[in-house]
Amino acid sequence: MTVPPSDKRIPTYCYQCVAGPDLLTVKVSDGVATEVEPNFAAAGIHPGDGKVCVKAFGLIQKVYSPYRVLTPMKRTNPNKGKGEDPGFVPISWDEAMSTIAEKLAEVRVKGLTDESGFPRVAASFGGAGTPTQYMGTLPAFLSAWGPIDFSFGSGQGVKCTHSEHLYGEFWHRGYVVTPDTPRTNFIISCGSNIEASGGVCGVHRHAEARVRGTKRVQVEPHLSITGACSAEWLPIKPKTDAAFLFSLIATLLHEVPRQRLDLPFLRDRTSSPYLVGPQGYYLRDADTAKVLMWDTVSGRAVPHDMPGAVPALEGTFPIDGAIELGADDERWEHGRVEGVTAFTKLVEHMREFSADWAEGVCDIPAKRIRNVASEYLEAACVGQSIEIEGKTLPYRPVAVTLGKTVNNGWGGAECCWARTMLAVLVGALEVPGGTIGTTIRINKPSGNRLESVVPGPDGLMAYPFNPTDRENWVKDPNMRNAYRTLVPLVGNSSWSPALGPTHFAFMFLDDPPEHMPRGTFPDVLFVYRTNPVLSFWDVDKVGGAFARFPFSVCFAYTYDETNHYADILLPDRTDLEGLQLIRVGGTKFQEVYWDSTGFALRQPVVAARGEARDFTDIATELAARTGLLEKYNAAINRGAAGLPFSGKNYDFRLPVDRQNSVEEIWDAACRAASAELTEGRESQGLDWWQEHGFRTKPFSVLNWFLTPTMEAKGLRYELPYQERLTRIGRQLANRLKEQGITWWDRQLEEYRPLPHWGDFPKIWEQQLIEVGGKPEDFPFWVVTSRSMQYAWGSNAHIPLMREVAGNIKGHDAVVMNRQAAEKLGLEDGDRIEVRSMVNKTTGRVLLREGIRPDTILMTAQFDHWVTPVAKEFDVASMNKLTAMSITLTDATGSAADLARVAIRKIGGRR
Amino acid sequence: MTKWAIVADLRRCTGCQTCTAACRHANATLPGVQYRKVLDVEVGSYPEVQRVFVPVGCMHCDEPPCRDVCPTTATKKRADGIVTIDYDLCIGCGYCIVACPYQARYKVSKAEFAFGHNPTSSETQRYDKRLLGVAQKCTFCSDRVDEGLAQGLTPGVDPRATPACVNACIADALYFGNTDDAGSNVSQLLDGNKSFRMHEELGTGPNIHYLWDEES
Repeated sequence: MTVPPSDKRIPTYCYQCVAGPDLLTVKVSDGVATEVEPNFAAAGIHPGDGKVCVKAFGLIQKVYSPYRVLTPMKRTNPNKGKGEDPGFVPISWDEAMSTIAEKLAEVRVKGLTDESGFPRVAASFGGAGTPTQYMGTLPAFLSAWGPIDFSFGSGQGVKCTHSEHLYGEFWHRGYVVTPDTPRTNFIISCGSNIEASGGVCGVHRHAEARVRGTKRVQVEPHLSITGACSAEWLPIKPKTDAAFLFSLIATLLHEVPRQRLDLPFLRDRTSSPYLVGPQGYYLRDADTAKVLMWDTVSGRAVPHDMPGAVPALEGTFPIDGAIELGADDERWEHGRVEGVTAFTKLVEHMREFSADWAEGVCDIPAKRIRNVASEYLEAACVGQSIEIEGKTLPYRPVAVTLGKTVNNGWGGAECCWARTMLAVLVGALEVPGGTIGTTIRINKPSGNRLESVVPGPDGLMAYPFNPTDRENWVKDPNMRNAYRTLVPLVGNSSWSPALGPTHFAFMFLDDPPEHMPRGTFPDVLFVYRTNPVLSFWDVDKVGGAFARFPFSVCFAYTYDETNHYADILLPDRTDLEGLQLIRVGGTKFQEVYWDSTGFALRQPVVAARGEARDFTDIATELAARTGLLEKYNAAINRGAAGLPFSGKNYDFRLPVDRQNSVEEIWDAACRAASAELTEGRESQGLDWWQEHGFRTKPFSVLNWFLTPTMEAKGLRYELPYQERLTRIGRQLANRLKEQGITWWDRQLEEYRPLPHWGDFPKIWEQQLIEVGGKPEDFPFWVVTSRSMQYAWGSNAHIPLMREVAGNIKGHDAVVMNRQAAEKLGLEDGDRIEVRSMVNKTTGRVLLREGIRPDTILMTAQFDHWVTPVAKEFDVASMNKLTAMSITLTDATGSAADLARVAIRKIGGRR
Repeated sequence: MTKWAIVADLRRCTGCQTCTAACRHANATLPGVQYRKVLDVEVGSYPEVQRVFVPVGCMHCDEPPCRDVCPTTATKKRADGIVTIDYDLCIGCGYCIVACPYQARYKVSKAEFAFGHNPTSSETQRYDKRLLGVAQKCTFCSDRVDEGLAQGLTPGVDPRATPACVNACIADALYFGNTDDAGSNVSQLLDGNKSFRMHEELGTGPNIHYLWDEES
């Protein structure tokens, strides 16, 4: 359609989900937004050719919703509760900001931390980091403020791929792990729902791959969107994925000739040749404490960094004199001792996990497991290479991906290890076609995976563990979820507190386990772009906590289940009303790895409605009213707005002693971006970026792969043997024992040199018994699945999403296997009650064939009771059913998104 | 000659409904009126089950049954194959809706908007009351095609001359082009891949072709 003269198309970006940003244009007619389209100018630059997914098409209804909160509001009913009417009434911005500033001023007088050492100000942001792309310069205010508790979660741990975040980043700087989809030919996908959660880049790339001939085997209890788009579906019993993956490893190690594996990669790029002593730690040179390997050239044990050594990958070797260093002060001095290579330890360890064994655990025929192993090995192209940008690299077009629930909670660590080992065995880790990471969040610099590769001990990468040694262990939690105290792997970056265990922040408010301090309620809580009272586990418990927060400020778009408990609501400008520049390209979350890097601008497509304010203006006002303006502006100048305002050949820093306008701030950001992209030659400001929307420069594809950097730095991946983690875990065990803490004992078992099969499904049965239930009374597993239309979007209130999502089965009912339902006398459309030991929920049942008989599915997260539009859905949510429980929490502080449930019919069809 | 057609690659489609939403935007249809949508189809019995996503809409048939039953000649077929509805002639009898084997036609008698009775500013701006009480369906975005051609653009290649659903598809599962041109994108896709058409046995000559590498 030709755009009439009064119409225009305005470029902007969509970052509603973690798989963004994606670029779009919005057609505006007479000042009214009417139509979303791709940004065709980004074809060939953005991996999805400048397109946006279905969620972006909801943004126009988001602007014009009659349910928006359009003025600041304050609560008039002091009683907070689910059944209480908050009595919100409109107030002026001045009153709202004065009230908040007054509370914040009180905090600064009392001290930034309370008597328990916890920050008095807390913040909860959802969406896997995406709120940062909408909160303007609020990060600068948070930085200027000082300690803030980010540990009150909204789904972290239970709703993310948590084990991967920690172990992936530890082993190969892969906070997020993905195939090199443009090149891979065979993918084993354990529950990864990439077609629903991979955004435009993911969907586009996997579609290309399928047509190219890539085969994907989907392993999951129900036939998801991704399963539908896969060549083969293996309906695995829930939470047994580790057994399946172990059996693939066992098959490769014990049923195929060793020469078919990538032996040079194992020998030279991993710690496989390191010699293990009788105590289970590496044998080390007695003088230098360097780890020993057996050198096949000299026929003796040598330090791991001996030039010219060719280490033995397998075998047991006699060593004359060596030491082992264990936890804390443990040290064993050996005379003559036998050293076993880590690889041989692996081979022996995996012997018991045959495909025949796994069949009984996973409910997948051994023959199909062996077929998958065989196809994987065949497709791995061991020994082949590929040229990229003039550089020859290994070519290993096979990958293993893990989805949520597989990849968090018990068994998640084992799945991550097994996935990474499957890559390692064929040399497919961090090379073209293989399994790669795309981003880091625990190491630094967060914007560059390759630069984060720093030599650590024993020829391995350094990693910023939270210390567990006697001198440095953080005995007293600095935040309410005790992440530094309990989870060494989570580190202490700006993301670490929100990585969990975020449920502990809620649990410890009332019921701290023995020898842990009771959590305190923060004096002030900020909430933005998240709805934990709906999106977390055991949501009634979370709601109960929110009802007792003394003063909470919610940036509010509409009323919702969380801001129902707020004291102040602040209306910020929506996606199409606000102004913010962000980085695009490079390598980011999910499958967002580009061959370019640069910036994109989100700009006011239409005038803001009501009194909604740009987030940057809100942050500046907060800084001014709390006396933090100078620090706030300095933080912006340093980079808190997403990039430093000065660099080599350019300086666009703003005055620090005044309130700069939103336009001044982002104009400076635009100029800095222009300069950064042109090495200081150009300095286009806000006007240019408003017209063009984005700008990039080339980003080498070689940056997608870590292995060349590892090779250049002479480092080895710390696989298969987990000597360092074992030591750290045993030290943590010592520390906790010294404090008399025994409730973390099971979690401490996760720290072992080689992972084991812990009969993970049984843990849920044990937890049932612990709380007084009988496993036989809860015969079904309930699982969930992401929805492309809703994932991360905070968009359940947008009618268009509800309408189009209705075309995909499972958005308005509980999905159940037809035969299983018939046994219960259920018919399609019957109303059912689904009950766990925590709570119950109700909904309609939808009978399908693509789901195991012992499993039911509740897609996405609904069951709203305040949010307009969504509260009319009448759709069950599993978030009511999942237990917040230490028993169900793994060593990384996460739990899997599933529960044991009972089902009964409570009504007939509509 | 020109015969416009869509090729839908079922190997690519993920059922995301981006095309559905883009169509709703481009054509400013009322809630529930989806000229383009994607069906979620399950075939087989557990555990041998397949799930397939199938984009559907008006097939712009060679022999459209909707045209044949139209008592007012409101439904016509253009020389380039696009099946059109003249809203001034349509009396809303609904025969065409019943006759269409693809359930591609809609009729809305009373306007309801996204948030109920009252339209948003955007809906007010675009509300077309001519569409009340008459049959409506996918037009292959004929206005974009026509205006694009007038500007020398190639439909199916240049976004400004291409249907919105095709432009928006994030999996590149939808293609638009001229099947009478052997060199066109759609002809080449059909030449190089197995394909089928829906309910071909009815003899309507549908012009959405589905690429699929398994037996249909």
